[in-house]
Amino acid sequence: MLRRIAHYFRAINAENIKEWRIEWKYKPDFFRQFIAPFVYLLPYILYGIALLGGRFSEHLQKLTGVSDMIAYIFIGYLIMGFLNTACWAMGWSLRKEQWYGTLDTIFAAPVPRWVYVAGMAFHSTCHQGLIMVFQAVIITIFFSIIFSTAGILPMLLIVVLMVIGLYGLGVLIAGLTIGLKQWWVISEALSTLMLVVTPIAYPLAVLPVFIRKISLLLPTTYGVMGIRHLLLGEHLEYSLGTIFLRLGIILVVWVTFGLLTFMLMDRYGRRKGFVSLY
Amino acid sequence: MRVIFEEIIKDIRILLAYPIEIAFWIISPLLWAVPLVFQGKALVGSLQSTPFGSLAGTSEYIPYVLIGAIFSTYMFTAVWSMGNALRNEMFYGTLEHILCSPVRPLYILIGKGLYNSMFSTMFVIVQLTICVLFFGLDLTVTKILPMVFFLALLMIGLYGVGFIAAALTLLIKEAHGILHMFEYILFLFTPIRYPVEVHPITRAVSALIPLTYALIALRGILLGIKFDFLKTSLLLLGIDIVIIPLGLYIFGWVEKRTKQRGTLAHY
Repeated sequence: MLRRIAHYFRAINAENIKEWRIEWKYKPDFFRQFIAPFVYLLPYILYGIALLGGRFSEHLQKLTGVSDMIAYIFIGYLIMGFLNTACWAMGWSLRKEQWYGTLDTIFAAPVPRWVYVAGMAFHSTCHQGLIMVFQAVIITIFFSIIFSTAGILPMLLIVVLMVIGLYGLGVLIAGLTIGLKQWWVISEALSTLMLVVTPIAYPLAVLPVFIRKISLLLPTTYGVMGIRHLLLGEHLEYSLGTIFLRLGIILVVWVTFGLLTFMLMDRYGRRKGFVSLY
Repeated sequence: MRVIFEEIIKDIRILLAYPIEIAFWIISPLLWAVPLVFQGKALVGSLQSTPFGSLAGTSEYIPYVLIGAIFSTYMFTAVWSMGNALRNEMFYGTLEHILCSPVRPLYILIGKGLYNSMFSTMFVIVQLTICVLFFGLDLTVTKILPMVFFLALLMIGLYGVGFIAAALTLLIKEAHGILHMFEYILFLFTPIRYPVEVHPITRAVSALIPLTYALIALRGILLGIKFDFLKTSLLLLGIDIVIIPLGLYIFGWVEKRTKQRGTLAHY
């Protein structure tokens, strides 16, 4: 049993190393990934400045207890970096192998499918974590943002729970890619919908009631709210305990659903013989 | 002409094989604008902003953002479709066949560009209809002719951008991320989401991008914001005159270089 687990861990690490090697082959793209989050974030900040004529918002202060628009938006989008990992890196993994012509070979390897997915998840966490640390340091210094450091540990716990929940989504997309092939549309559509529904740059209070209800089913909602509360002191509609509890439940549901969909699509694809079709 | 026509037919067939993509291009640009509406409500507390009005010429930020989202469809489909066109052929295993066939690659790219313009226009028409029906956008017949004029000028310029994007793909291969980055840069430096006057750097860089002038003109026509018709047309035309030969030159140079180095079919 222990030998088998060690064997799986070696396979997970091999997948991680393989991804680093492939990414390093495309150096412009590798370095682009460290710059992209800044270019992605700035339009939202500039839009806020255009609306307010400055950095601070009285209305945001009334709604959330935080008046610094830049700090508020920055935390939201920083956390959402993990959504991109789940939707793009993990969702794309199988389609990429298909294009490389290595999907059949990987699927025939003597390890269960989940090991391959876990390898992708491990790699994505390392890579995205590195990008986020880099982004956090630069933005915090450049915009002189002050965070409360007292809540760092519970914040890390929230990040871990949210990320595992998001990996459920990544596995789901990877599974859907087997059947629907055009992976990027699924990834883009799901990530866009989640970006709209999650209170990234605005509090839950401004969302219409039906969107708010959908929002409460997403791990990102609790992740963003909890982390902003711990770092910036945003007022919460729920206690921290409720946030942890709901994140835990969502994590179990999303991961189970993602894995089931993946296994179902995998089995269906093999039976119908379209796993390696384009 | 037959080559261009066949290229268009081929691209239509590929698109119809993935019908989910059609729905995506119609709905997504509108969805991308929704967070900005919520962000505006959270920051300002109303649907109008005085500081925004002093920069943009209209204090109503929702129509401003919606129009930016709709017409940016042209830019993004140009970047994505033409940028990924050759990469996709590479993955399909057909790139070498296409570039070795007795036609100039330029005709193939023109075919892809025309296909791209046709579908972008279709998507924009559907999006405008949604905005007229559900968001009360005022669109009269008298506005359509000047809009078509500016859209034509925009599309010509976008062919140049598309040629550069296609060349980039041939050069660095894994261009998906770079194209995404290019998309973010356009969001940053063109008045899709906010008036570029908000910062001196965005204002300076935006002057080089055709979408900037097209958006100024189209917002002027649709929202009644004052703009100089002649100056904007001439600027767009000037950019078109420069960007098309530039795009062709860059593509030709990259194609020749990849053929000489033997990296054309590399992944």
